[in-house]
Amino acid sequence: MSIALCRKILLHLVVLAVLLPCVAARANEITVYTSYEEDEAAAFLAAMQRDLPDLKVHLLRLSTGDLHARMLAEAANPRHDVIWGWAVTNMVDPRILDMLEPYQPKGIDKVPARFRADDDRWFATTGYMAAFCVNNEVLSRKNLPMPSSWEDLLNPAFKGEVVMPNPASSGTGYLQIASILQMKGEEQGWEYLQQLDNNIAQYIKSGSRPCNSASAGEFAVGASFALRAIKNIQEGYPITMVIPAEGAGNELEATGLMKSSRNKEAAKRFIDWTLSDAAVKEYYIWKEIVTVSGGTMPESFRQAGLPEDIGSVMVDMDFSWSAANRDRILQQWQQKLER
Amino acid sequence: MRSFGWPRSLHGETLFKVLLATVIAVPLVVFVLYPLIHILGRSFQTPEGLGLANYAAVLGTERFLRLVYNSFAVTLTTTVVTVVLAYVFAYAVQRTCLPLKNLLRLIALVPLFAPSLVQAQGLVLLLGRNGLVNRTLGTDFSIYGFWGIVIASILYVFPYAFLIFSAALATADNRLYESSRILGANRLRTFLTVTLPSSRFALIAASFVVFTLVITDFGNPMVVGGDYSVLATEVYNQVIGQANFELGTVIGMVLLLPVALAVAGEKWVHQREYAQISAGSLPLQLRPDRLRDTVFTVYALLICAVILMVVGVVIFASFTHLWPYHMGFSLRHYAFDVQNGIQPLWNSVYIGLMAAGIGVAATGLAAYVIEKFATLVRAPLSFLCIVPAAVPGMVLGLGYVLAFNKPDTPLSFLYGSLLLIALCNVYYYHAQGFLIASTSMKQISSSFDEASATLGASLLRTMGKITLPLMWPTLVGIAVFFFMRSMVTLSAVIFLITPSTQVAAVSVLMLEDRGAVNQAAAFSVCIMAVVIIALLMARIILNVLGFRHVTLIR
Repeated sequence: MSIALCRKILLHLVVLAVLLPCVAARANEITVYTSYEEDEAAAFLAAMQRDLPDLKVHLLRLSTGDLHARMLAEAANPRHDVIWGWAVTNMVDPRILDMLEPYQPKGIDKVPARFRADDDRWFATTGYMAAFCVNNEVLSRKNLPMPSSWEDLLNPAFKGEVVMPNPASSGTGYLQIASILQMKGEEQGWEYLQQLDNNIAQYIKSGSRPCNSASAGEFAVGASFALRAIKNIQEGYPITMVIPAEGAGNELEATGLMKSSRNKEAAKRFIDWTLSDAAVKEYYIWKEIVTVSGGTMPESFRQAGLPEDIGSVMVDMDFSWSAANRDRILQQWQQKLER
Repeated sequence: MRSFGWPRSLHGETLFKVLLATVIAVPLVVFVLYPLIHILGRSFQTPEGLGLANYAAVLGTERFLRLVYNSFAVTLTTTVVTVVLAYVFAYAVQRTCLPLKNLLRLIALVPLFAPSLVQAQGLVLLLGRNGLVNRTLGTDFSIYGFWGIVIASILYVFPYAFLIFSAALATADNRLYESSRILGANRLRTFLTVTLPSSRFALIAASFVVFTLVITDFGNPMVVGGDYSVLATEVYNQVIGQANFELGTVIGMVLLLPVALAVAGEKWVHQREYAQISAGSLPLQLRPDRLRDTVFTVYALLICAVILMVVGVVIFASFTHLWPYHMGFSLRHYAFDVQNGIQPLWNSVYIGLMAAGIGVAATGLAAYVIEKFATLVRAPLSFLCIVPAAVPGMVLGLGYVLAFNKPDTPLSFLYGSLLLIALCNVYYYHAQGFLIASTSMKQISSSFDEASATLGASLLRTMGKITLPLMWPTLVGIAVFFFMRSMVTLSAVIFLITPSTQVAAVSVLMLEDRGAVNQAAAFSVCIMAVVIIALLMARIILNVLGFRHVTLIR
């Protein structure tokens, strides 16, 4: 082969290499924004890929609050086709609702009416609830009592031993604070949070990291959500899941179709899949709250301490209150407690 | 103006030169100045039109003052400690009879092979509240906060300072040391009156480089800072977390200021530097000295031990079953359950290769045009090539989002592509690449060009037949430089990733952010492996072709 030919081929390769990633979205490709945990989302997507092998999903996973901010910032030129598994509290922000297109996916009847929007802009299939991850090893080493409620965390012995999510970026963080404010009333609620602040070692951006930090033994107690605790117990971490005695704050995760989607057919296929039997089966493996029937709670959840009737330990959340007051509460939190 | 070729071709050649100069200048304007202008503009943009409201909203608050204080406290402490530690280490390597010099030098450079936050990862595993040390000794101290950031940052910037000192201490005039000895000066006095003054420029340069790196780094503070917030993490939180571009840009502008001052200061000092080696100089002769050599060997080994321990514990943790409870061997953390799995690593490799190609072409050509053509635009052009050194990575990245994520502009097609990330890396590291190229270009005597031109060769032919064959080992070095930095950089690219263009260093940050410590460690190990393999390959190619003396890492 002559040198000239070599050069030519090389040049073409370089041009190809540079241009290839620029090729615009193709017919069976969609972009999905989600706040499902990375491992959940990966498992769900793997199941989806088995049923819809030709559909290519580009997934962006961000914390609930971070995703909210990103979507508002991109509002003029949205880059995603579907919002998948994202806190209802954030979904009902009028600015977000405006971006959504009403759609009745196949199998929507499986979702009880109270878990979907009247105008079909969103529906919620899954949810999560607050729980503490308490490290047994740290407790015994430091001679600390096992906490059973939010109130117990005020014990001065826990000073510097509790980590909690930052509600501005974490959906788990916001539901914890919203549930406290709803249960105690705003005045007493803020007073409680102020007292709790004395014991908080760090406010962490993500909702799962407090549990993971406690699991690693960096702190005694991580305020997080139930499934992270269950999964970490399965992993073999020496932790106990504690559902706060006052009641567990909770949140539903909703899905919706973007008006601006450039590829609605593929987007609808994806959304239809999220209500398929295969999807529901996955929800029961990964989620403590599933709104659709079609499965049972795995034995491991029960062993980790999740009651059969989770309705009995959950706070009856006023989601519309949480949504309407979100900006104000976060502002107050940032003024009073952000470090 | 130097003459190139025959008069009849002069017109064509001038045109060619102008063309080349434009090819250099236009991308610099588009990919450096244009994004910066966007940042500046956005920081003045308020709902009520242009104004200072954003600045007023940020600058006066108590929280902002605390962030400034925190940032400077961390950065200045790190700078002082790093400069001292790295200077002594470079002194040990260059001025004492140390065993295993090459190995020690290589170990000191290890932090360059990994994303900055690996240092913080290692620190938490070692010194965290449930880290190895607390667990084994039964102690109970916490690394989170000021000292955690400082220690992680020292480890992160150590190689940068070491490289500068090592170059400065490599050469010296033996006659000065002989005179000092004959005049009866003791070792300390010789050090204070000969060695230290002759390396004062390196001390200043290293201080500025370290300062710039630390004040704009957010990888380490994110992992080990706990609630100790600094300016860099605040930009990240405001922009990524709250989509608050206005406040993000204001803090970005605030960051730009000290960094620009630092770079300007360094340039100013640099111009006042004089040659320490003249034609009559004699090369430095090291005499063995048992006590001195032992002390410095112990010191160098200690430093290397710390560096290896921090990186080593990350590698170790990535292979354990369940850190820190079940330390058995396991590969399960290499099955990444992040978005798009291991794909971000390949994206990074791809970006690194593109950045290497574009970076070599851009900086090589720029150096060629500036060194070989005495044109009017030489001074402004060479200034333009250096400007990126004064721009913090995260400020540049933020500028890219603002400048290129606009649907109605001609370059918006770049947004969301790997190419834009590669370009961002090229122009972020442009100054360093350019300096390597132009230093080596200066060493090629212009008499070759003149001979070639006199013999009737065209400019293009001279470039192809003379300059390139002499330059290419250096160009390989520059390619390696761009590849390495692209693999590990976090600050600029963090704002540019989209679902289909995730990069490896960001995956580490995301894993660390959610608390998947083992997987984050495993991903870091993958990045280090790729960088080391690339370095080895480049080294082997150079050695086989007979260029053993070419330094790859600088």
